[in-house]
Amino acid sequence: MMEVEGSNTWMNRSPQSSFVRSKALYQFKQQKLPACKPVLTPTSVITVFMLMGFVFIPIGFVTLRASRDAIEIVDRYDVECIPEEYRTNKLSYITDSSILKNCTRYLKVQKFMKAPIFIYYQLDNYYQNHRRYVKSRSDQQLLHGQEYTHTSACEPEESSNGLPIVPCGLIAWSMFNDTFTFARESAKLKVSRSNIAWKSDREHKFGKDVYPFNFQNGSLIGGAKLDPKVPLSDQEDFIVWMRAAALLSFRKLYGRIEEDLEPGNVVVVNLMNNYNTYSFSGQKKLILSTSSWLGGRNDFLGLTYLVVGASSIVISIIFMLLHLKNPRPYGDNSWNKKSLSS
Amino acid sequence: MVTAPHFIREPVHLATSVDEDDALSDGQRLVEVSDMMEKELILVGATAVEDKLQKGVPQCIDNLAQAGLKIWVLTGDKMETAINIGYACSLLRQGMKQISISFANVEESSQNSETAAKESILMQITNASQMIKIEKDPHAAFALIIDGKTLTYALKDDAKYQFLALAVVCASVICCRVSPKQKALITRLAKEGTGKTTLAIGDGANDVGMIQEADIGVGISGVEGMQAVMASDFSIAQFRFLERLLVVHGHWCYKRIAQMICYFFYKNIAFGLTLFYFEAFTGFSGQSIFNDSYLLLFNVVLTSLPVISLGVFEQDVPSDVCLEFPALYQQGPKNLFFDWYRILGWMGNGVYASIVIFTLNLGIFHVQSFRSDGQTADMNAMGTAMFTCIIWAVNVQIALTMSHFTWIQHVMIWGSIGAWYIFLALYGMLPPKLSGNIFHMLIEVLAPAPIFWLTTLLVIAATTLPYLFHISYQRSVNPLDHHIIQEIKHFKIDLEDERMWKREKSKAREKTKIGFTARVDAKIRQLRVKLQRKHSVLSVMSGTSSNDTTSNSQQT
Repeated sequence: MMEVEGSNTWMNRSPQSSFVRSKALYQFKQQKLPACKPVLTPTSVITVFMLMGFVFIPIGFVTLRASRDAIEIVDRYDVECIPEEYRTNKLSYITDSSILKNCTRYLKVQKFMKAPIFIYYQLDNYYQNHRRYVKSRSDQQLLHGQEYTHTSACEPEESSNGLPIVPCGLIAWSMFNDTFTFARESAKLKVSRSNIAWKSDREHKFGKDVYPFNFQNGSLIGGAKLDPKVPLSDQEDFIVWMRAAALLSFRKLYGRIEEDLEPGNVVVVNLMNNYNTYSFSGQKKLILSTSSWLGGRNDFLGLTYLVVGASSIVISIIFMLLHLKNPRPYGDNSWNKKSLSS
Repeated sequence: MVTAPHFIREPVHLATSVDEDDALSDGQRLVEVSDMMEKELILVGATAVEDKLQKGVPQCIDNLAQAGLKIWVLTGDKMETAINIGYACSLLRQGMKQISISFANVEESSQNSETAAKESILMQITNASQMIKIEKDPHAAFALIIDGKTLTYALKDDAKYQFLALAVVCASVICCRVSPKQKALITRLAKEGTGKTTLAIGDGANDVGMIQEADIGVGISGVEGMQAVMASDFSIAQFRFLERLLVVHGHWCYKRIAQMICYFFYKNIAFGLTLFYFEAFTGFSGQSIFNDSYLLLFNVVLTSLPVISLGVFEQDVPSDVCLEFPALYQQGPKNLFFDWYRILGWMGNGVYASIVIFTLNLGIFHVQSFRSDGQTADMNAMGTAMFTCIIWAVNVQIALTMSHFTWIQHVMIWGSIGAWYIFLALYGMLPPKLSGNIFHMLIEVLAPAPIFWLTTLLVIAATTLPYLFHISYQRSVNPLDHHIIQEIKHFKIDLEDERMWKREKSKAREKTKIGFTARVDAKIRQLRVKLQRKHSVLSVMSGTSSNDTTSNSQQT
């Protein structure tokens, strides 16, 4: 039933405080609430686009500069670290545990790199985001250890030889196990390997009294072995690995070089090429990178800002020309030219 | 009823004495007395009883006709009453040709006479249609008047489509002496035969059939009881409220629903496709980049309230403008706001938004570290950043769509965005057993990283840029009618230039031949023609010009 409009008599009888409330209620029910109705006028349109352009282009330059400030050295080593005689049969080389897989790489520093210089290992064509893989872990077991037994999500790496595996799951089982040491002109570089994992992980997600047990004991070795005497919360490499990455190529933090590197320096990297990426044509890379206030080196953000800012400016110029050439007066009364009527 | 007194000059012996024999009954005695009294009457006056139309009905019909609606009257009253009502609300007027379809003779239902009757009626219908077809005057108006008895034949299967064809061409249709069943049949014929939306409004139990048959049934509650109200979709207290129901609320509701549905397509496509693109990077294993709780919250909490506020409160023009510019109503029947162009446009906007959100987040949080302390982004960090971008983009988009902002809309839109951040912060504070991978996500991982905030800003701008361009362009070059009214109201030109406003109002009317405005226009035309003819006669008489034959007009 529709209210008869304009029936204000009942309002006059109400006392002051509920008068305000009933007035608000009346406005709400009659859809007469005070409202602002912004209208897109040519000036406001041009202003908005101009403003967007003038804000975004400087931001684009600033972020581009920040990205350029971060200096990166990328070195792919998985092909060249295989000795000549095994190049045709990489798989047998990598799975043979009797061969010592050390390798030496030389990284030439082009520009000045200020400490701390971050060391990453990058894996390509590695699906750490596959659903079965991501599922294959037990966060409760990482926190509580063996006493937590509902680890069926970790299949098939749940138990071996009848004993439970701690930490269980495929993610833990496939842990990266290449190691790197860094030297510069025969003097060892100071590399810090602590504080590479997130603080919340170290303190809240991995138990301080949970020790690896029955780990990598099966017939198939997937990756690194963990020291059973060190609690999980201190195994930072492991904690870093357990964070599933988003894309096919990903980097994980390995450590930090705490010294500056001058241009012309040659960093000698002694690495152990243990990890098997050859069975699925994955790639392994070593990266040394400084980081700016924005992060590592990635021009994409800066370039996109510039593109968006530039298109805003172009659009505002288009509208300005349109407005100057064909000004349509406000409230143009040749309306209905779109002929609503039939 | 006539009133006429009889003056008694001298006392008249009225009644016969009591003790006479009572052979005469009381009635006969009354007849005797009235025979004695009712002569030499002096007529004083007459009284008549008028069953008045409800207040505001002619006005309402006039406005609805100007909004482009066609109005038919189906009544159980007799023909004279129905015609009088037609004149009262200007459905009929002087100058309208009345086409009356009826029996030449009143027939009993015998076989021969039935076929003869049907043939006669069909003949009348065909003749009338013929007459309308050859009519050359564009201002000629026809009214069809038909009664219930004739309708029994006219609504039979072989005649009804001709009848409908005739009725549709006429400016107004008045059916009298109609039974409730016939009301329903006529409504069904109009609905199915023309394919247009029909509305039936009535107040009595005999209108229930047609109210239920029509697409929209409106019942008037009042004197005749509540049966019509109980059977109807909408019920109002007076007939004149129908105008407001259709022209204000109908218009608003059409716009609101159209906008809401298009926006819903956009929102869910933007969200779903973003989720889908990620599958290409996970080997199509079905891993979602978003945490499960995000998926649950998206449609329920984070993006539903602004849509509700759009659907409930959006007004493209205020209610007084809707009433003053009836032609705006036609945006609904012409389906200007829910055609394929708009639907596909919004879907395309959703696809574009999903592509932008996904590629930008992917490209920005790529492999390198995203913070000054060298950390790289894992799947949850990228997913959370992407989801934040979606929430922002989708809500800013609805803010651009709305044209009427009350405090409720502001609270809903910005509140939804704020609620997302609050949820993320609070959820992240729960112990890892409950919050899983989102533990401390906002406060530790994302918020201290400037790249997170910069990405959000960039994505908002990039996703809304095309839409902003489109609506700005449309408003500058090709504005729709309600845009122009919005501008007039915004710059208060209606207060400055009253004449222009009045002129606009007078232009904003659908061409119609019923209603008292049309009657006034017809009268003006008639007077003008008379004036022209007078001038031509004068000029002939004064011998200044040769035969000045003015245009013929019907002699009314």
